[in-house]
Amino acid sequence: MSCSYRLLRLHLSTALLVLSAGFSASALAHNPMCECKAIDAEQIKCTGGFSDGSGAPGVTLDVIGYDETILVPGKLGSDSTLTFKKPGAEFYVLFDAGPGHVVEIDQADIEAP
Amino acid sequence: MSKITTAPQPSRLSLFWHKWRFHINVLLLLIPLGFMPKYFADAALFRGDAGLGEREIGEIQVGPWSLRLAELRNEAPRSDGPAGYLKAFSAALCTACVEPVKATYLRIGKPRSLRAAGVIFFGTPYRMGTQLPVPVKTPADAELWITMEGWDGSMHQASIPLSQASPATIAWLNKQGAKP
Repeated sequence: MSCSYRLLRLHLSTALLVLSAGFSASALAHNPMCECKAIDAEQIKCTGGFSDGSGAPGVTLDVIGYDETILVPGKLGSDSTLTFKKPGAEFYVLFDAGPGHVVEIDQADIEAP
Repeated sequence: MSKITTAPQPSRLSLFWHKWRFHINVLLLLIPLGFMPKYFADAALFRGDAGLGEREIGEIQVGPWSLRLAELRNEAPRSDGPAGYLKAFSAALCTACVEPVKATYLRIGKPRSLRAAGVIFFGTPYRMGTQLPVPVKTPADAELWITMEGWDGSMHQASIPLSQASPATIAWLNKQGAKP
């Protein structure tokens, strides 16, 4: 009886140790990331997030022209995405989660549908 | 009819264990000693006892201000999963710029605007750190741009070749280019 109890305790503490080792790594980094894809000839869909797996609902995502005028001021929806009409002028997408936490995507780097 | 029963013979493994268990446990205590040099080297690096980083790049003049820049580790960028490859840099502001400088940014290629100035250095001005994303397709002749923003609203920029900032990154980029 006491033997099986000791064994159970040993297994439990081993599992706890392995779990804490696993979770310690996930708290390391949360760098911003953003991906944009053309869903058809007219529209582009961008998805934002952080490298720790968290989403970015409500974070600013602006479409800015090469002349620095903001063509589409936007915020990501509750699903961390934003779909916008492709501007006529040359542009880049700026995912802006605060100073120094930005991702730039040039129009040349946006995948065609 | 004899009623004597012999106890089962203990297994060889059990005999070995009972004979050597104390010695084996002493050996287990010795294992951490092998990791000590790396542990103390890392501790010195993160405390600043070993300087700003593993490889000092030098003093870089940015307008009226300057900063000392270093690679935290003299190695290629590390992968951060979907966020791409990141390279850690450390920096220390000059004594006279600690007060007037509000923020320092780092970016590969000339920033389009202050908003897109790149990653921000965080931490004490005497020892700041940041992780710079390095796209795999970065050309080997790329420039590393430093943007400094003052509390008075002024902005100053300077650039150095990436090959001067991190030869390990250039070697890594060349290897990436070799891939099909």
